[in-house]
This record gives sequence, C-alpha cells and structure tokens, in this order.
Amino acid sequence: MANLCKSSLFYSDQHLCYADILPPSEVRARIEVAVLNFLKILNSPVPAITDLPLINRRSNNSRVSRGLLADVSSIFLSHSFCTRSLMKANATKAFIRVWKVMEVCFQLLVKEKRVTQRELFYKLLCSSPEYFTSELQVNRTIQDVVALLRCSRYSLGIMASSRGAVAGRLLLQEPGQEILDCSACGSSGHAITGDLNLLEKLVIQTDARYITVVEKHAIFHRLAEDCIFNQIPSILITAKGYPDIATRFLLHRMSQAFPDLPILALVDWNPAGLAILCTFKFGSIGMGLEAYRYACNVKWLGLRGGDLKLIPEESLVPLKPRDLQIAKSLMSSEILQENYKEELEIMVQSGRRAEIEALYFHGYDFLGKYIARKIVQADYI
Amino acid sequence: MEISSAQKVCQNLICSAIQRCRISDDLCRLSVVIKCSSVSDPQIVRISISDTGVGSCLEEFQDLNYTRNCVSAEKWDGVLSVTTTSICVNEIYHYNLNLKQNVAARRLTSGTEVSLSTYESMDDLIAGITRFFQKMLILKIPNLDFEGSSVSSAFMSHGCESCDHSEASYSVHMKVAVELLVERADSPASRSENLLNDGILLPFPMSNIERLSSGLEDYVLKHGNSLDKECRACFSSREHLKVGSGVACCTENLRNTEHVVEAVIIISELPESSSPSCLGACGTATKVIYFYDFSPCSIPQSSLKALTSIKWKSYGLTLRASVADRDGSAILEWENLLPHAHIDIALHSQQKTQVDRNLVKKAVKLALDDLKERYTGILLSAHALKICNFAPDLAKTIAGLILSSNDLGFQGECFSLLGVHSQEIGEEKVVDCIREKIIATSNMKMKKSNACTNSLHLLKCDIYEQAMQVLSTGCISLLALQ
Repeated sequence: MANLCKSSLFYSDQHLCYADILPPSEVRARIEVAVLNFLKILNSPVPAITDLPLINRRSNNSRVSRGLLADVSSIFLSHSFCTRSLMKANATKAFIRVWKVMEVCFQLLVKEKRVTQRELFYKLLCSSPEYFTSELQVNRTIQDVVALLRCSRYSLGIMASSRGAVAGRLLLQEPGQEILDCSACGSSGHAITGDLNLLEKLVIQTDARYITVVEKHAIFHRLAEDCIFNQIPSILITAKGYPDIATRFLLHRMSQAFPDLPILALVDWNPAGLAILCTFKFGSIGMGLEAYRYACNVKWLGLRGGDLKLIPEESLVPLKPRDLQIAKSLMSSEILQENYKEELEIMVQSGRRAEIEALYFHGYDFLGKYIARKIVQADYI
Repeated sequence: MEISSAQKVCQNLICSAIQRCRISDDLCRLSVVIKCSSVSDPQIVRISISDTGVGSCLEEFQDLNYTRNCVSAEKWDGVLSVTTTSICVNEIYHYNLNLKQNVAARRLTSGTEVSLSTYESMDDLIAGITRFFQKMLILKIPNLDFEGSSVSSAFMSHGCESCDHSEASYSVHMKVAVELLVERADSPASRSENLLNDGILLPFPMSNIERLSSGLEDYVLKHGNSLDKECRACFSSREHLKVGSGVACCTENLRNTEHVVEAVIIISELPESSSPSCLGACGTATKVIYFYDFSPCSIPQSSLKALTSIKWKSYGLTLRASVADRDGSAILEWENLLPHAHIDIALHSQQKTQVDRNLVKKAVKLALDDLKERYTGILLSAHALKICNFAPDLAKTIAGLILSSNDLGFQGECFSLLGVHSQEIGEEKVVDCIREKIIATSNMKMKKSNACTNSLHLLKCDIYEQAMQVLSTGCISLLALQ
C-alpha cells in the first residue's frame, strides 16, 4: 500500500517542481521581486552579489511519476537547486546572460509583445555579442530563466517555433474563424502554430480511431499524400524531428479531448528514434519544469526488432557513437519500461540501425499496408 | 654604495643620542659636526656627535657593533673618543675607546660627545649622514625638530587646530633640536653650513602610526628623498597618494612587554608627463624602509622572509624577487606593475626581543586591507578584477530592467535602495550607482555561506509563498478524499 501511494501522482506532487503558466503581470512581478532582492542584498550591511538559484535540470534531479489513473508516466524535476554565481571564475558570463534575458523578457512583457526563440537570439546577438554566440546558448539561458522564475517559457513572452504539422481526420477551428479540415490540407499537412494560447483556444473535432505520431517529415509527407488517414481513420502528426512544445501541446490536447484514441508512434529503428518517442511519452529533463504536463500515453508501433525481417540486410547501417550515447542514457533512465529496454538491447548488440524508408524496398505503398496490418493486429507496445 | 664601518658607527651613535634626548625631560640639542682638516694628505675628517640628553655610560659604547670591514679599516682606526656625564651630572667622563682604558675627567652639564677621526671622504660622510637623518624624518618622532626651519613660522602656517597656540606651551612640545654642521678647512672663511632644513610640525596628539604615514608621504613626494622638496610636477597634492596603514601587536605575558609592528604602504602613480629624472628616481622596485625602536636599521632576515611569504597574489600583485641591498633595506621587485605605479613600504618594529615574523606579516596585511577599504578598485586580485570587468554590463542590464518598468512603485523602491533621488534620474546615473556598488562588493572578502543563503531569498516574497501554500493544501485535501 505504501509503495502504491509513493508512486501515485499525488505523492509526487510534493516533490514536483513546476513552472507556472502565468499572465504577463505576474511574471513581471516575479522579475521585479528578483531585482528588488538583488538590490537589497547589494545594499545590506554585508553586501553581496546574490547568486541565482535555478532548479537543477540534470538527471540527478529528475524523478518519475507513474500515473495511476490515466496510465501516463512522466518525468519531472524536483527541488534540487544549482546556482549561477557571478563570483565563480568561469560562470560569470552565464550569470550575466540570465540577467540579460530577464531584461529582454521584461521589456517584452511591458510592451505585451511575443517573440520566437530565434528572434530573441538575433536581438541578443546584436545587443550583447560578447555574451551570446549561439542559439543553443540562448535557449539554455531561457531555460535558466524558466528555472529561476518558475514560470513557463510561454509566460515569458517567448513563443515556441512553428515546426510541427498535422494532417488527417481532424477539424480545427480558431475562435471566430472558419473550420479547417486537415484531411484536405495537401501532402504537407497543416502547420501547427507556435502560439500556445491559440492552440489552447482551438476547437477540435475528429472521427478518427487512431493518432499516429511520425518522426520524420518525409514519412509524414508520403503518408499524407497517400491519404492513409482515409484508409484507416486516423490523424497524422509530426514534429519533424525532436518534438517541440507546440506539437506536444496539441498532441496532449487531442489525447485529453479524445481519450479513446490510441496514440501510435512511427520512428526509425535507432536510439534517437526511441528517444523521440520517449519525449512525446514522458517529457524531457531539459524542459522538465514544463514538459511533464504534456506527457501522453504513446505506444511504439514501429520500427521494432520484429520488423527487421522485412528489411533487406543492406539497409541496416552501423550505429554511430552518438547513437550509443543516447542508448546509454536511455538504458539508465528509470522510467523506461522493460520491453523498450529489451528492444534497445537488441539495437545496441546488433550495432545496426534502420530507417523507415528501408520498407520502400517492397514498393512505395508497402508502408501503408505495413501500418494497417500492425494496427489491425494491435502490434504495438 | 657600501656603508663603511665609520658610517655605520655614526648611525648607531646618532640613534643612541636620539634615545638619550627622548628620555630626557629637558630641551635637548643634538649636533653632528664634521670637520675637515687640510693639514694632512689624505685629509682627516673628524666627526663629532654631541647631544644634551641624559648621560651615558661606557657599556653603551662597548656594545656598539663594529664590523670589520677591510676597505675602511685603513680609513678609520676604530678609535672613539667619548665624553659624557654620568646619571648625576657632577661627574664627567672622558673615554678613549679603543676597547682599552678609561680616564676620568670633569664637566658641568649632562650630555655626551663622541668623536672619531677617519680618512673617509667628507662628501661621502655628509651624504651618508644626511640620508640617514632624512630616513629618520620619516618617523616624525615627536619632539624632534631638525634645526634650520623657522620654527615659529612653521607652526603658524601649519594651522593645527588641536595644538595649543600659545608660544609658551609650544616650547614644551619641542624637546630636541638636531643640527648637522660642516666645517670645511679649504673654504676661505670657515663657516658652518646647516644641511638639514626641514621640520614640519604635526598637530598633536598624533599616534606613532599616523606620524609614520605622514613621514612616508613626505618621503614619497620627494621621490624617495632624492629631492629636497616635494616634487610639484609629479604630485599636485598629497591626495594623489594612496596611503594604508596597519598596526599589529601582541603582548607577551611572561615578560609583560608589548610587541608592536607598524606598517605603512603608499601606492603612488606618476602622471604620464613625468620627467625621466623623476621616473628614474622612483624606479619600479619597492624599497622597504625598516625602523627598529625609532631608528632606521637594516631589515632582519626574519622580517624579509615574512614579506616574501605574504600572499601578494590575492592583492593582485606578483612578487618577482626580494633582496636585501647593501644599505640593509629590503628591495621588492614586482611583475607586471602598472606603468608609472610605485609602491613604498615602511615598517617600524618596537620590540624588545626577537622580531616576530608573524607580526610583520600581520601588520603588512592590515595595511594592504586598509588600502583596499579606503580606495575602491585597487589591489584587486585577478579574480576580483575579472568580476569588476563585468560590473558595467551587469549594472547596465539591471538598470535597463528598472527603467523599462512602468510600475512607479517598483521604480521608486529601487531608486531609494540605490540612494538616487527622483530629480536626478537618468540612465547613466543609475548605471553608475549600481556599478560602483558591485565593484565595492567584489572588493570585499566574500563569505561563501553568505552568498548561498542569499540566493535562496532571491524569490522570497509573500504572495509567492501564499501561492505555494494553497497548492500544497490542495494536494493534501485530495489525498484525504482517497
């Protein structure tokens, strides 16, 4: 009984550290509090330049929440802090970067504007070139601010990029706009907006029986072109690679709105593919303060070890070192279920990987048949 | 230039003369007379050091260190003529010290006169003794006036508030007058020149360390006593010097004596336009002037080691080498000192027993810390310097945050914390204010624990706390439902 309680969603809440989704005025207030406390400590009898406490975004601070009722497990971050300090010799710039991003976000919030991460990167690159050199750095700093203020990235005024696409038997309607039929969007599908607010307000309707998450855009394109969603009533959704928040948000909305629809993932047979599946399924540590919200019960349709017999030997290529790194971190993850770990073992042991495109060996329409057969046989884990 | 044994003995004699004058309650006079007789060739120079302090006894002179020096052994035969009164004034003793016999004689007032004859060059002797007296000036020993200054006018012009302005009380303050007279036999009229013409009165009361600071300032302003007066070209005012001082003391219970070490450090920066002669006189190395019990003396090895063992790097200085020069002073050489910057150090140890190396170290550290506290932005360790480099950017960012806000309450609170008045709000002012505070903070020693506890308070605010409480109670009530 005790163990059951421990793993319940409610218990984990005590340890859960999350980023609030807040209106601009509240976020501004949090930033103002931070500035005032900074100045107070600078002015105090024993003056100091206060460190910035950030929720630790490392695996040692990640916890697993095993869903009891909804069978959705997720990764969340707990209350372990790391600090950014001006005083540490190599971390001085990182410290100042956090303040700089806070300054820009504050200005955005005052003007009630929104920018994408890329726009923010260019703005910072121009104003403080000594501090910001790459988009990755900017993105990490934004996550630092999220971890500091504990408010979602979207609340800061930073929009997710519009990267994902959706197609199939789904009707979308923005408030006050026309209804959009995603099955008539053509082979590229309907682009998913990065504005989470807008996604929240979308009215969605469907008569599909399945939701299929596709890793790669090329596969999505082929399936949409072949109108597979008409053969098997389904919705196709892709993030064109590593899942972004907007795509996950929409997927989560659909899972909440249509709880009976199984969500099936079609990924390459390599550790990176599995990692993408896991991100949709559990969330991530990097954005751990927000990502846990959008965890969905995604099932692994293919490619799996059992499908390798369908692929010619020549299509199997060696694993790259990066693949092995990803495999290693996935293996050590507490949240990964046994059957997934077994699949991963086979991958690593064989030292090979295969892409979905390898199925085209049997003809361009083989993919559709393959998917249909698997769904009918409920061959997903 | 090597110090000859005659010079050394002269210095020792002057020191003991000054001690005798200080101990005496009456007004005293110390005279150093250098006479040259052209009768013989090479010329014999007779040096006489006389004082009207308390009398001395033979033992004091026997204790004089006379180091055998091959070069000057030929110039001075090691004979000292001593004439002194005893403790009670009635008797006068006259000694011819060649570490041999005593012959008693008679005289009337208390005092001591010591003479010696040598073949040394007169000019060398004069130069050496003058330098010695100038070093002594650094100490600014109370009640010691170097003859030559118009005493009453100096008193008036200094304008000290704490002094008693009456002439009568002034005379009580002045206890010892010092003069250096030179008689040259080869000049047409044998006249006495007085070579010491300094003597600035200081307001009373002043502690030893304050006097030492003042004296070292004069020394630096005169480019290490190479000039007679302050160099106006390089230093338009004393304010350009950065002075720090420290006193370390400990009481030894067994003997109930207090050991005191005083240290004064002055950092000066010559302007770009300094003449080469000024720059040359300064040099880049630091000459550490050492005093023991109110007299200049050579630095003991333990003190030199103490200086070397100080962690200069934490003050942003890198010590390249430390040597004791022939004068007995310690020379410290630095790496990467700022161009035109110069450091001067004076140490004064008042201890009866062996010099405690830790006390020297402590005194110098206190002086360095004093400098850091008084003047922002100097003696920063490499780490602190790095942080200071980032201070303008951080200040600008935070100022930007404050000024972009449209919440007047928030802005008002920030300005009041910074001490900026609403009338003078301008971006630059706010940035400067924050930047200075950051630099001042990085200058201080940061205790790690301080920073840690502070960081967790960054987001501490009542509303936030309440929100967290509501959430946790919400969870508890759900559990109860189960």
